Amino acid sequence: MSSTQVRVRPVAGPRVSGRTAGRHRAWWPYLFVLPAVAALGFGFVLPLLTVLRNSLYAGSVYQLEWVGLHNFSALFADDTFRTALANNLRLLLTVPLMTVLALLVAVVLNDGVRGWRVYRTVTFLPYILPAVGIGVSFSVFLQLNGGLNASLRAAGLGALARDWLGSPHWAIWSVAGVVVWQQLGFGVVLFLAALLSLPGEVTEAARVDGARWWTLQTRIHLPQIRGTIEFFVVTEAITVLSWVFAYVYVLTAGGPAHSSTVMEFYIWENGFAHGNVGLASAAAVVVLALAAILIAVYLRVRVRAANERAA
Amino acid sequence: MPARAAAWTAALPRQVLLAAIAVICLEPVVFVLMTSLKSPDEYAVNRAGWPARPTLANYVEALADLPTLRWALNSAVVTSGSVLMSLVLAAPAAYAITFGEFHGRSLLLGANVGLIMVPPVALVLPVFVVMVNLGLINNLLSLVILYSCLLVPFSVFFLCNFFRTIPPELAEAGAIDGAGPVQLLWRVVLPLSRPAMLTLAVVNAIWAWNELLIALVFIQNESRRTLMAGLSLLQGRYSTNQPLVLAVASLSMLPVALFYLFSQRSFVRGLTAGIGR
Amino acid sequence: MRSSRWLRIVLMAAVSAVLAGCTAASPSGSGASGAGDDAEHASLTYWYWAESDAPGANDWMKGRIAEYQGKHPGVTINLVPQATDTLIGAFTTAAQSKSGPDIATQWATLPVLSQVWGGAVAPISDYVPDSERKNWIGTQENTYQGKVWGMPIYLIGIPLAYNKSLLARAGVTAPPTTFAELLSACAALRRVGVTPIGGGNKDGYFGAWFFSNFGKQNLDAVGDLQQAVIGTTDIKDPRVTGFYEPLHQLHANKCFNDDIASLSLDDGMSKFAGGQAAMAWGTDGIVAKWAKTLGADAIGVVKTPTWGTGKLASVYNTTQSSTAFITSWSAHKKAAAQFLAWLHDPANLTSWYAATGIFPADTRFDQATISSDLGRSLWELTSSPGSVWLENYLPPAVDGDGDLAAGQVITSGGSVADAVAAFAKATQKWRGQNPAEVKNYTTWSGR
Repeated sequence: MSSTQVRVRPVAGPRVSGRTAGRHRAWWPYLFVLPAVAALGFGFVLPLLTVLRNSLYAGSVYQLEWVGLHNFSALFADDTFRTALANNLRLLLTVPLMTVLALLVAVVLNDGVRGWRVYRTVTFLPYILPAVGIGVSFSVFLQLNGGLNASLRAAGLGALARDWLGSPHWAIWSVAGVVVWQQLGFGVVLFLAALLSLPGEVTEAARVDGARWWTLQTRIHLPQIRGTIEFFVVTEAITVLSWVFAYVYVLTAGGPAHSSTVMEFYIWENGFAHGNVGLASAAAVVVLALAAILIAVYLRVRVRAANERAA
Repeated sequence: MPARAAAWTAALPRQVLLAAIAVICLEPVVFVLMTSLKSPDEYAVNRAGWPARPTLANYVEALADLPTLRWALNSAVVTSGSVLMSLVLAAPAAYAITFGEFHGRSLLLGANVGLIMVPPVALVLPVFVVMVNLGLINNLLSLVILYSCLLVPFSVFFLCNFFRTIPPELAEAGAIDGAGPVQLLWRVVLPLSRPAMLTLAVVNAIWAWNELLIALVFIQNESRRTLMAGLSLLQGRYSTNQPLVLAVASLSMLPVALFYLFSQRSFVRGLTAGIGR
Repeated sequence: MRSSRWLRIVLMAAVSAVLAGCTAASPSGSGASGAGDDAEHASLTYWYWAESDAPGANDWMKGRIAEYQGKHPGVTINLVPQATDTLIGAFTTAAQSKSGPDIATQWATLPVLSQVWGGAVAPISDYVPDSERKNWIGTQENTYQGKVWGMPIYLIGIPLAYNKSLLARAGVTAPPTTFAELLSACAALRRVGVTPIGGGNKDGYFGAWFFSNFGKQNLDAVGDLQQAVIGTTDIKDPRVTGFYEPLHQLHANKCFNDDIASLSLDDGMSKFAGGQAAMAWGTDGIVAKWAKTLGADAIGVVKTPTWGTGKLASVYNTTQSSTAFITSWSAHKKAAAQFLAWLHDPANLTSWYAATGIFPADTRFDQATISSDLGRSLWELTSSPGSVWLENYLPPAVDGDGDLAAGQVITSGGSVADAVAAFAKATQKWRGQNPAEVKNYTTWSGR
């Protein structure tokens, strides 16, 4: 946080405003930030306070009655919520996988492989496509008699065919697979940009000293983009924890039998499909608490990554 | 010769790895496009192969019989409205944070950075109630309002980062002419920020175009849905004709994909340099 | 940041002030116009759902509204079709602020009554005279404390449809009427390589239908289910949840298409329309649609085969499905009631049937307009006395959380015990979460 402050030290502010007119100094910034602050208040502060309040109430929505922390104990007594939480944690396992895979691809691309620009374009494509379009496509692709299994059977790999979305054991991993498929490109492009911005002299010097490829990557390159890697890890951790609604909604709707539900879907289902406002709000508070921890980490990491890039 | 052979042995595994990744990235996209060109009858017997008799009938049906165009138009309205609004809200704030001095400046910047990652699912229930009170349910304005609010944190952060790179002398030159902060922002800083603003607009536009949860909840009326909400609900009803659903899915991805291929630099810069979502 | 803690407070206060200003200035929906309750001068908002039951329903309603507005120039009706997924949740959330639509739609019985208990509904029997209401069919589904709370538009039943030539190919000469016959028909169809029953349960609705078709068969009255739901009797009693056994048997004997778990209900049923499955459950409207592809003569319909031994084993399953009701906060209740009653005008009943192939819920419906044998068999089933749609008697939360999930347990290859446990947990959760609703449910079921 402290470095955030350092970095926003006004560049031209004092001189400009000091010279133009002292009286401006007092009020114009407040006027300038007012619309944005109002927007933050309407979009974030008010809803967050309301959710916090609602999480302590339950019963029929017409007669919200104070129940204190009862919603939270009900939440953790609810198998479906526990499944949702466990599934979010399972999705967290995709983060190291994505990171390693993205690093590998980025490092190889950074070697100046023929056609690297094309590969970069192709790997990044999934990331910008809408999750809904992708989800709809995969929900057809992954059906028992869908494209993936048909391809597997055609390739003589029929034994690998699964009911990807219809089996309670596989559904959440299928969601995880789609998330990895879409998010990988972000890592590749992010890492590649960081690698390309590294000063060439260090690499050259290491080469002259006879460093081998592996040593060069692990000792020289990766440590220099550590901030970017941390940033990616935290961003993706927050993503799989609290930004996967669209995938689940379109791919499995949380099924079969709640087996692929996640916390966001649980909130949507209880809040909008069943009208359990208190329970949904309590679940939202849990998501927020977990996200807040990661956001605190994210604030630190983001600053470091930005400094790294600026350096 | 030996050098070239060595280069080959080094390059081959890399090419294989990259080709494999490229195939995995493209295979589902190719499947979608291929399937959307099949008739339902052909899809019934030919799931994964190339279409034997490619047909555009699904696209014709998607555009003529389904409200696809209507949805796309709604999405376009919501996207452009919220991108514009978010810039209008964020630019003066970022300018004040970068060039001004006021109490709570660093708090405001810190809050913006922190709020970037707050999950919308935690916000949507209370805002829904507010929108019902305002009579804005089933009104695209409800989406424009909330989307622009949600886009403010990232936009402020992104613009602050860019404004810091503007040489102070330029602003100073303007100040000497006796310009106030409004003119400085409008005549000096914004013209210099055109590429950054464009990049930001692109990133925000993708976010708004792709958003599902809020669009699903705030808009109940079929003809007012955004493309993403409409597509997600097509699934159940028209799943009897999957090639048709996938034709709509391709149409939903097409604008973003084309935009990406033609302005890759903006995309890559926006999503990495600003490290956005 | 440390130095500016007080600023944070000021900032928050400023934000709250702005917001308070915003929300206070807001008008509160169509209900608060204060124009008085005049049947000829009103602007009505109608949240409507029917299309998924009855393809063609949206266009029909738009046409009716246009005609009504022509006849009553002082009335405008804003039709807002609703999504199936959020039908209950969106209305419940809107009802919190008492400023949603003037006319809303919920599924019959508990989805309606739970809104009644919440105070969101005005009884339609206060606004429409008995002489008119006595023609409506199915009002008993929404009767509570002597009042009728909503208006039925149509009736659906869920017959088991069969493809005559596919059954013949397997040597099955008569459609199955008992569960044993159904199983042996499945085996025969399997032998000739035909999928016996087309279904899709990715969204859980196939299982919900199964609950209504088989779940009632060991019950003597709906009260048996209600007692188990509130916990007076054991929900795990085979009389109540034992119907997962036949579902399991059908699944284990490969009576369904192999991909039932990864297809939606519509997608699974469409295997019947495509001639790939020999049998399927479908609503009257869906069967009517199938008749258009396969030919009305190629299809037959029967009641769900008998499996249980309760008094309800042999009755049919009919429901008005969606119910239109006037909200308690509407400022135009008379105008809303006049419009809803007009929808039962004989000309409108005829045009409804023409548009959807579904029977209107009114005794004035002219049966002579039914043109096919298939249509007549459907009418005979749907209008048979004593029909019960069991799902209507589940609290919405139990239905969504337990009923849908429990069926998926089976169609994804799980055990009967797991399915029953999932169902039981959902009822428990409901009892813990909604004490007020439980109380009302108990009073209502004890009538």
